[in-house]
Amino acid sequence: MRSGSRPPCKMIKVDNLTKRFGRHLAVAGATFEVEQGEVVGFLGPNGAGKTTTIRMLTGFLPPTSGSAAIDSLDVGRHSVEARRQIGYLPESVPLYRDMRVREYLQFRGQIKGLKGKTLKVRMDEVLERCGLREVRRKMIKTLSKGFRQRVGLADALIHDPPLLILDEPTNGLDPNQIRSIRHLIKQLGKSHTILLSTHILTEAEMICDKIVIINGGKILASDTPSNLVSTMRAAGRISIEVKADPEKARERMTSLDHVRKVIYERSRDDWEEFSVLVESGTDTRERLARLARDEDWPLRSLHRHDATLEDVFVELTRKD
Amino acid sequence: MTNLLILLRKELRGFFLNPFGWVVLTFVTVMQGWSMSGAMKALQDAPIPESLVYIVFHMPQFWFYFLVIFPLITMRLFAEEERVGTLETLLTAPIQTWQLVLGKYLATLCFYLILWIPAFIQFQVFSILTDVPPPFSTGSLLGAFSLIFLMGSLFIAIGSFASSLTSSQIIAGVVTVGLLFIHYFLGYITVIYGDRFPAASLFHYISSSEHLRYFSKGLIDSRAIVYYLTAAIFFLFLTHHVLNHRRWRS
Repeated sequence: MRSGSRPPCKMIKVDNLTKRFGRHLAVAGATFEVEQGEVVGFLGPNGAGKTTTIRMLTGFLPPTSGSAAIDSLDVGRHSVEARRQIGYLPESVPLYRDMRVREYLQFRGQIKGLKGKTLKVRMDEVLERCGLREVRRKMIKTLSKGFRQRVGLADALIHDPPLLILDEPTNGLDPNQIRSIRHLIKQLGKSHTILLSTHILTEAEMICDKIVIINGGKILASDTPSNLVSTMRAAGRISIEVKADPEKARERMTSLDHVRKVIYERSRDDWEEFSVLVESGTDTRERLARLARDEDWPLRSLHRHDATLEDVFVELTRKD
Repeated sequence: MTNLLILLRKELRGFFLNPFGWVVLTFVTVMQGWSMSGAMKALQDAPIPESLVYIVFHMPQFWFYFLVIFPLITMRLFAEEERVGTLETLLTAPIQTWQLVLGKYLATLCFYLILWIPAFIQFQVFSILTDVPPPFSTGSLLGAFSLIFLMGSLFIAIGSFASSLTSSQIIAGVVTVGLLFIHYFLGYITVIYGDRFPAASLFHYISSSEHLRYFSKGLIDSRAIVYYLTAAIFFLFLTHHVLNHRRWRS
């Protein structure tokens, strides 16, 4: 829709966005940016403020303070214009149960400003793209969850928006359906900017160029998955099995340099297993081995796990 | 403007594409027929110095079914969209909130007017089937139907407002019925307590039963027209604001 000669600008620009529901602070000064053409994973545990942030971006909720702009259109001041840039799939995928698929897409296309021939062409295109051709005459209430998800996605795509905002698009689907929706999103990522909210890490790792992690309403990190993993302070996790008094061993290991946290995992036939979280760029295995020798603990295994996005996520969002 | 028409059409189709609209239409038609035959029987039994139109709209069952129409046709409007979540897809589409409010309101008003077609046909039966002049004047028929339209325009606005307040159709319906009953009985205050208090003229002003008495005699009262239309606009305005500010609650 926009001329290609324009220099790429920020597709989403969120600045100090805050939302308060009475006394509850749902989003606390969120700031992040999404470049044109990026596929961004918006990650956080349930209740982290993902949906609230997305609802503010789509103009469904007004922010308490701060601002958000879609393609440099402020979502408050140029609300309708900003909304025109967005294809939005809400988390619960609300649809009219009594409508037929084609009829629903026609209605949605019309209120998004399509008509006549363009509408027809776009409808055929999204029906094809989302694999809805066979069910286009069916009532929405007779469709399975996977198909409903596709209808929601088709609705988001119908007016060919430059930006797609998908709120947990694979929620509640079976593994095959998840695969096909992910495949579809990957395809769409080649031609669209996508903000994809999810709490499934592998999904984000598979699909996204960039990841924004939110928890308790705050943005905790915003970077590429590989950068996130390599710059995280507790990027390394070491498993160690020793024979020792668990309390004492934990205390001694915690006192070593570069060790951030020691978690007692379990006891297996007298062997005590611990997870040791260490700072990145350090290797503490040697010092752990020396400690075991000095303390006279029998040592059975000492193994370093490469950090995954999951470690980063858990480290950033865990409560304790 | 086109957005308004698209929303209006979708909403109006909604009334006919599920059994609900047809159930309401049947209910109203039956009640209208009952009023009509009751009125004709009354005329047959004893000489009444009033026209048939007047008697039909003053049968005891009239207000009983008339006020029930509004919660039935308005309770779904916004409450259902909110419950299912489709309000989110509507309000995040590039349309203005007033287009949504007016589209739904006008669609309901259209459906409401369709509900009165059977009654209108019933009144035409005399000139179609007999050569006796109908027992009412054209003026009283037009008067009564214009008041039906005016009351409808206000009461549907009240119903839309109630529906925008909640995600439960039942609550929306109960609130609508409550507001309409209160409105109706406020008009009766002067009947119960007499005219001898300062605010009596106010109660006369909003009394739907008095309006109906004038209009069904063919007397068009411009005060009533102004009252119903401005009050309808006021409630639509409230509905619009509730939708725009609902966001504070959830």
